[in-house]
Amino acid sequence: MAEELVRMAGINKFYGRVHALRDVNLTVNTHEVVGLLGDNGAGKSTLIKVLSGAVPMTSGDIFVRGKKVEIKRTTDAIANGIETIYQDSALVPQLSIARNLFLGREPIKGPRLLNRMDQDKMNEVASTLLKRVGITKNIPPTTSISALSGGERQAVAIARAMHFDSQLIILDEPTNNLGVAETQGVLRFVREVRDTGHSCIFIAHNIHHVFQVVNRIVVMRGGKIIADNIDPKKSSIEEVERVITGEHLIEALGLDAG
Amino acid sequence: MQSTFLQRFIAKPEFGPLVLLVLELVVFWSINPDFLSLQNISNTLAFTVELGLIALAMTLLMTAGEFDLSVGSVFGFSAVIMWTLFNSDMMPLGLAFLCAIAISLFIGFVNGWFVTKLAIPSFLVTLGMLLVVRGTALYITDGFPQRTWNAEGQWLAEALVGDFYIGTFRVYMSMFWFVLAAIAAHFLLNGTKAGNWIQASGGNANAARARGVNVGRTKVLLFMLSSAMAAFAGIISSIRTSAANPNSGTGYELEVIAMVVIGGTVLTGGRGTIIGTVIGIFILRVMRNGIVLIGVPGLAYNIFIGAIILGMMALHSWLERRHNAGV
Repeated sequence: MAEELVRMAGINKFYGRVHALRDVNLTVNTHEVVGLLGDNGAGKSTLIKVLSGAVPMTSGDIFVRGKKVEIKRTTDAIANGIETIYQDSALVPQLSIARNLFLGREPIKGPRLLNRMDQDKMNEVASTLLKRVGITKNIPPTTSISALSGGERQAVAIARAMHFDSQLIILDEPTNNLGVAETQGVLRFVREVRDTGHSCIFIAHNIHHVFQVVNRIVVMRGGKIIADNIDPKKSSIEEVERVITGEHLIEALGLDAG
Repeated sequence: MQSTFLQRFIAKPEFGPLVLLVLELVVFWSINPDFLSLQNISNTLAFTVELGLIALAMTLLMTAGEFDLSVGSVFGFSAVIMWTLFNSDMMPLGLAFLCAIAISLFIGFVNGWFVTKLAIPSFLVTLGMLLVVRGTALYITDGFPQRTWNAEGQWLAEALVGDFYIGTFRVYMSMFWFVLAAIAAHFLLNGTKAGNWIQASGGNANAARARGVNVGRTKVLLFMLSSAMAAFAGIISSIRTSAANPNSGTGYELEVIAMVVIGGTVLTGGRGTIIGTVIGIFILRVMRNGIVLIGVPGLAYNIFIGAIILGMMALHSWLERRHNAGV
């Protein structure tokens, strides 16, 4: 049932002389939540920026459902069904939930020339979507984003990605700076994303959060993927931590970590 | 239910300015009842709408996160251009009018191009443009005003500043243009896709860009609108006063920006209100007119304007903090 959704092949990225990504190959299948882990500077962010069109890659190919695609800017990624959600940065705080959801794709009513937004339709769809991502509190869709909590903002961004049929939703550190209840909320959205048939790449520093929602863990270090099929059901958090820091290599070679 | 309606009304950014305007009217009227005479209202309105037209466009531009200091210069320059072209018998008045508007659109385009393509802050770009445009106006006129009395009987002059009476109340055509522009601007900002893009460009340009909003083009078009409105207002003013002075409009840019921020539009962009701007326009114009009528020396005008700006900014900031605290 799982098919290949997105495949990155032989991705290299140089920042000047710094080789940030070294021949990276990563595949994400349908109905899959992939946890992307790695220490600071491991290359996770660069990889995601390449996939989301925020920075151009130096060499390599990206395939979506087997077809090669060109991703040069963020709008290319979105057009190919790949949406990246950064904490806070994806929404306009002054605009309402509904206006944010439809930003750039506002439905029009009446004469084409007047360019009139169909706000009733926008609010109606927004209400339905908010319920779908599990916001049960009664928040009207006309509420401005600045009045929402960090978790609710991410819920809105996730709802938007789901509505516009993103196949792959990338969440960059979605649980940073969130309280316990808020974090549980975001993790619930991630499960919701998977259960409705979307795929997800989940990046987080907190391995506990990753373990709760992902099907597969990928670990990066030094610009390379060093493990790409860790099953969270069969591995312990401590084992994954050792892979991230590289201790497992030292152990494998029989050297003393000290 | 009634209290929630009242609370929502008070929470609106336009509420503070509205209270201030009503207060002004009551105070001036109680000191000098002539203040609300039809003639005085008519005279105040005539001049109000000229700055008002610029303020409407400036509201849209500031909502998109930019502002334009060159509007005062364009105000003076465009009238000079139109009357110079007309008086030298180069073209009929209608064509000269279109030429002046086209030149102002180009000035706006250059402003927008520098701001969006070269990423130079609008403060610096439009400050430079202010000097270039004013300098040009002074250079081509040798500093002398242009004659405009040939405007008598021209259909264009009638359409722009002609007047008619409702009873004994004299209404200038420019009032009609202002009302039309205000309704259009309000609809554009709140009801259309373009309005959503304008607010998003000022609120979070990166997020807007990621959704496919052309932030650069949105801003360039608003700079062009701002320039064209300044030109339109300058031409109306020149016909009404029968003078195209290369120095006219000096300092208008700051008065216009003051009108906009007093009305509740934020200088940093993202949030703007046309209704607030209309109230802001009247607050300043009524103040200018009122203090003269109650006998305060006109030279003291700026003291009051400055105090109003500071007071309103303090109020807006207080309301904002209250709003963010979830009260």
